[in-house]
Amino acid sequence: MKRLPVSGRTLALIGVLLLLFASFAFVALRSGPLAPVPVTVMTVESQSLKPALFGIGTVEARYTYKIGPTVAGRVQRVEVQVGDRVQAGQLLGEMDPVDLDDRIAAQEAALKRAEAGVPAAEAQAREMVARQSYAEAQASRYETLLQAGSSSEEAVGAKRQELQVTNAGLAASRANLEVAHQELARVRADRGVLLRQRANLRLVAPRDGLVAARNADPGTTVVAGQPVVEVIDPTSLWVNVRFDQLRAGGLRAGLPAQVVLRTQAGGAVAGQVLRVEPVADAVTEETLAKVVFATLPEPLPPVGELAEVTVTLPPLPAAPVVPNASVQRIGGQLGVWLFEGDSVRFAPVKLGAIDLEGRAQILDGLKSGARVVVYSQRSLGAHTRVKLVERLPGVSP
Amino acid sequence: MHWRGIKIEGLRKRYGSGDTAVDALKGVDMQVAPGEVVGLVGPSGSGKTTLLKCLGAIIEPTAGRMSLGEDVIYDQGWKISDLRELRRDKIGFVFQAPYLIPFLDVTDNVALLPMLAGQSNRDARQRALELLGALDVAHRAKAMPSQLSGGEQQRVSIARALVNRPPVILADEPTAPLDSERALAVIRILNDMARRYETAIIVVTHDEKIIPTFKRIYHIRDGVTYEEAGEGRLFE
Amino acid sequence: MISLAGRDILHSWGKFVFTGVGLGLLIGVTLTMAGVYRGMVDDAKALLDNSGADLWVVQKDTLGPYAEPSSLSDDVYRSLLGMPGVARAANVTYLTMQVRQGATDVRSMVVGVVPGGPGEPGQPGYLIAGRQITRGHYEAVADVAAKFRLGERIQIRRNLYTVVGLTRRMVSSGGDPMIFIPLKDAQDAQFLKDNDAIAQQRRRTTASPAFNRPGVPGLLDAVLASQSTNPSVNAVLVQTLPGYTPEEVAEPIRRWKRLQVYTRLQMEDLLVRKLIATSAKQIAMFLVILAIVSAAIVAFIIYTLTMGKIREIAVLKLIGTKNRTIAAMIMQQAVGLGVIGFVVGKIAATIWAPIFPKFVLLEPGDTARGFVAMMVICVLASLLAIRAALKVDPAEAIGG
Repeated sequence: MKRLPVSGRTLALIGVLLLLFASFAFVALRSGPLAPVPVTVMTVESQSLKPALFGIGTVEARYTYKIGPTVAGRVQRVEVQVGDRVQAGQLLGEMDPVDLDDRIAAQEAALKRAEAGVPAAEAQAREMVARQSYAEAQASRYETLLQAGSSSEEAVGAKRQELQVTNAGLAASRANLEVAHQELARVRADRGVLLRQRANLRLVAPRDGLVAARNADPGTTVVAGQPVVEVIDPTSLWVNVRFDQLRAGGLRAGLPAQVVLRTQAGGAVAGQVLRVEPVADAVTEETLAKVVFATLPEPLPPVGELAEVTVTLPPLPAAPVVPNASVQRIGGQLGVWLFEGDSVRFAPVKLGAIDLEGRAQILDGLKSGARVVVYSQRSLGAHTRVKLVERLPGVSP
Repeated sequence: MHWRGIKIEGLRKRYGSGDTAVDALKGVDMQVAPGEVVGLVGPSGSGKTTLLKCLGAIIEPTAGRMSLGEDVIYDQGWKISDLRELRRDKIGFVFQAPYLIPFLDVTDNVALLPMLAGQSNRDARQRALELLGALDVAHRAKAMPSQLSGGEQQRVSIARALVNRPPVILADEPTAPLDSERALAVIRILNDMARRYETAIIVVTHDEKIIPTFKRIYHIRDGVTYEEAGEGRLFE
Repeated sequence: MISLAGRDILHSWGKFVFTGVGLGLLIGVTLTMAGVYRGMVDDAKALLDNSGADLWVVQKDTLGPYAEPSSLSDDVYRSLLGMPGVARAANVTYLTMQVRQGATDVRSMVVGVVPGGPGEPGQPGYLIAGRQITRGHYEAVADVAAKFRLGERIQIRRNLYTVVGLTRRMVSSGGDPMIFIPLKDAQDAQFLKDNDAIAQQRRRTTASPAFNRPGVPGLLDAVLASQSTNPSVNAVLVQTLPGYTPEEVAEPIRRWKRLQVYTRLQMEDLLVRKLIATSAKQIAMFLVILAIVSAAIVAFIIYTLTMGKIREIAVLKLIGTKNRTIAAMIMQQAVGLGVIGFVVGKIAATIWAPIFPKFVLLEPGDTARGFVAMMVICVLASLLAIRAALKVDPAEAIGG
C-alpha cells in the first residue's frame, strides 16, 4: 500500500546521484587535460606570392643648403621667413659688418690717395726727365766748351756733376713712379679683399628653393659654419627608409613602393626606390634606401615626417603556401603539423619567402593538398589527440 | 523437571562501597512461568528498576542466582560470556515509549534484530509481518513510525520485543502514558502474546489501572519482594 | 543485512544533501586554492616554455630577466652566435606596463622579439588566430587574456600597433598577458617616455653649456640623437644545437663572455622558488586551515546527527545491537557526507575556475589526493561521534 513513497524517494535520490556522477565524469573528460585539443586546419594550395618589404622612413630633402657666415659675427638682418620661396641669388640676410664698412671707406680714401700719387709721381718723373735732358745738354755743351778752352774744368765738373745728379734724380723719380703704381695696386687689392669680405657677409641663396629653417634672428652672434638660414629644394623631397636587414632581401633600385605618410594614415602615395645606400647601419642592423615620390603630394609633407614604406617585390612563381601561424619550431627544426584525423604529425619544411600578410612559401617538405594545422588551443605534441573545429572557442570572428 | 521461565534466587545489588554503599536489592526471590504475566509493583526507589536491569543483563548483581529457561545466566557472577547476545536472543524489552527507529519502516523496525543477527532479509521480514499481523498492525507494515498513532507504535514495539521469540519479556511501565482503555488493550495484548508464544512476561508498573489484571503480583519494598495473588481481572 | 546508514540518509536526505552541498562548496574552495597554486607554477612553466629558449643569457650577477631587471647591449648576441653549440640567439626585451585600447588599459608584459620569422626564440610558439608579425614595426601579437581582438589598434607608449595575431596561455609569471611587438619598437617603448618628457629633456640638454657649445655646431644635435636611442635589451634567448647539453653550452659563455647564463632547469627553479615561494606558503597555510575547518564541520555535523539519535542508539544497544554495527553506521554516514561533498566541490570548482582572473589548474592528481584526504578526514571526524555513541549506557533507555 505504502510502497511508493520509499521507492520514489530512493529513485529520486539515485537519480540525483547518477546525475552528479555523470556531470563529474563529463567534467573530467571534456575540460581537463584528458580532453582532445581543438584545432583549425587548412589545405595547402599553390599560390604565387607577392612579397613586399616594409620599412619606416623619414621625409628628407635631397639638397639642404645651410647658409651661414664664414667668420664669427653678429647677424644684422634676416630678410626671409620660414616657408618663403627664394630664388637663386636672392639676399637672405646679412651679417653685421662691424668696422668693415669703415675700413672699406678708409681703404677708398687710401685708394684715392694712391691714385693721386701716380700722376704726381709721373709729373715728378717728367720734371726729372726735363732736368736730366737739360743737364745732359749742359754737360755736353760744357764739354765742348772745355775742349774749346772757353770753360774751366771746374765749370765742366760742376755740369758733369749736375748731370749725374739729374740722372740719379731721374732714376729716383722713375722708381717713385713705380712705387706709386705698386702702391695703387696694393691699395686696390686691399680694397678688393675688404669688398669680398663684405660680400661674404651677405647671405645669398645659391639656388631656387624654400626656406626651411631660420636659426638665428638679427642680433644673434654666430660662429663660423653655423647656419643662419636653411634652404631646401622642395622638388627634391625623398624618403630616407630603414629596412631591418633580416627582412630586406631583394631590395634594389627601381622597385615600386607605396608611401604612407604618418599624417595621412590610410592614404598611400606611389613612389619608387631610387637607390639602396651602399653603407648600411651596422649598429641598428638596418639597410638604408631612398625612395622618391612619383608625384609630390600636395601639400608638401614637412621634412622629418615619419612614413611607412612598402616596397613591392616581383611576384614569385607559384609554390605551396601556408600561413606563417602554422610554422613552428619543434626540436630545432622548422616545420608544420599535418592533420591526420584525430592525431597530428610533424613535417619539417624548408621555407622560402614570406609576404607581408604572413603567407609563407614552402620550398620543400609539403605538397599542395596536404592539410596542416593552423591554430590550436594548446601546444601540440606527437601524441596529442586533436579535434577539428571551425573556429577555436573564445575567438570572435 | 526443567524449569522454563524466569527464576531469581537471593538476588542482591549493592551500589558503591564502604560507608556510602547502598543496597538496592537485599535478597530478591522471584519465579515466572512461561506464558505468565506477572506484575512487579513498588514505589520509586524500591529497587524495581534495579531488578529489571539485573534481569535484563544490563547491570551486574552483587550476589544471587538468575536463570532464564534452562540457562543459568548469573550465579555469583555472570555465566554468559556475551551479554549483548543474551539480550538480543533471550530477552525482549518493552519501554514506556515505543522508541522505534525513525528512519526504518515498521516492518524493518521489527525485523532489524534478526537481520543484524544474520538471518536473511526475506525471512526476517516474513517473521516480522507475522507478528505485526498477530498484533493487528499488519496494515501499517510499510509506514514510517512517525505516521503511526501512539497505540500502533506501542504495538509495533511489542512485536519488536517478540521477534526473536525470547523466553522473557521485560516491560517497563508500558502503560504509563496511556489512558485506561489503551492501557488495558496493551495488557490484553501482552497476555495474548505470552500465551501464544509461551513467553514469561514481567511488567514493572505502578499504574493502578492495570494492577487488577495480574494474577500474580510481586511487591517490592526496600529491596525485597513479597509475592501476592492478584485479582487477575482482564476487564472487557 | 540492512544498511542503517543508508536508511538514515534516505530518510533525511534533504538534510544530508543540503549539508553535503555546503561542505562541497568548502571543498570546492580548497580544490580551487590548490588549483591557484598549480596555476602559478604552470604560469611560470608556460613562460619558460613559450620563450622557446634553452638558455637565458642575462646581465652578470642578476637573476634576470624575470626575477630581476637585467640589461645587456644589443650587439652581445652576435658574439654568442659564434659560441660552440649555439644554434640561434635572439635579443628579447620584457617590460610590464599598461597598454591602452580605446578607453581601457590592460596591464600586460610587452615582449620585444626579433621579427625574423616563425620559430625564432622569443616568438610565440602557436597562435589561435591571425598571423605572426611580418613587418618590422607597429604590429603586435596579443594574448587573449588581454581581451584585444584582431585588427584593433592598441597604444604602447607613443605608437599605435595593430593586433595581427592572438595567442593563448602566453602569460608572465605574474599572470599578466603578453603582447609581442618588434624588438626595436620595444626598445623604444622601454626607454622613450612620452612627448612631454622628451621635450623637457631636450630643453635641459639644450640649456646645459657642456652640450650646447657655440663653437661646435653639431654637438647638441648629436647629443640629443644619442639620448633618444636605446641600445639595450633585457636578455638574449639561445637555442642549442642537438647533441649539446645546455650546461655544455652555458659554461663557456659564463666564463668567457662574463655574462650570466641560466638553463631551463635553473630558470624554473628560480621562478618557482623565488617568485612563487611566498604565495606558495600562503596557499599551503590556507589549505591546512581549510582542511581543519572541513574536518571540524564534518565532525560537528556527524556528532550532532548522532546526538539526535542518542536515544535510539541506546535502545539499539539495549536490545542487542553490536557496538560494531552502531560504529559502522556512524562512520558510513560520515563517509557518505564526504563523498557527496567532494563530488559537489569538484563540480563547483570546475565550473568557477575559468572565471578566476588568474589561471587555475585543477589537476586530476590533486583531485585524487583531495578525495583520499577527505575520506580520511571523514573517518577521523566520525570517531568523536562514535566514541560518544559507544559510551552511551543502554540502561538509559530504561527510565530511572
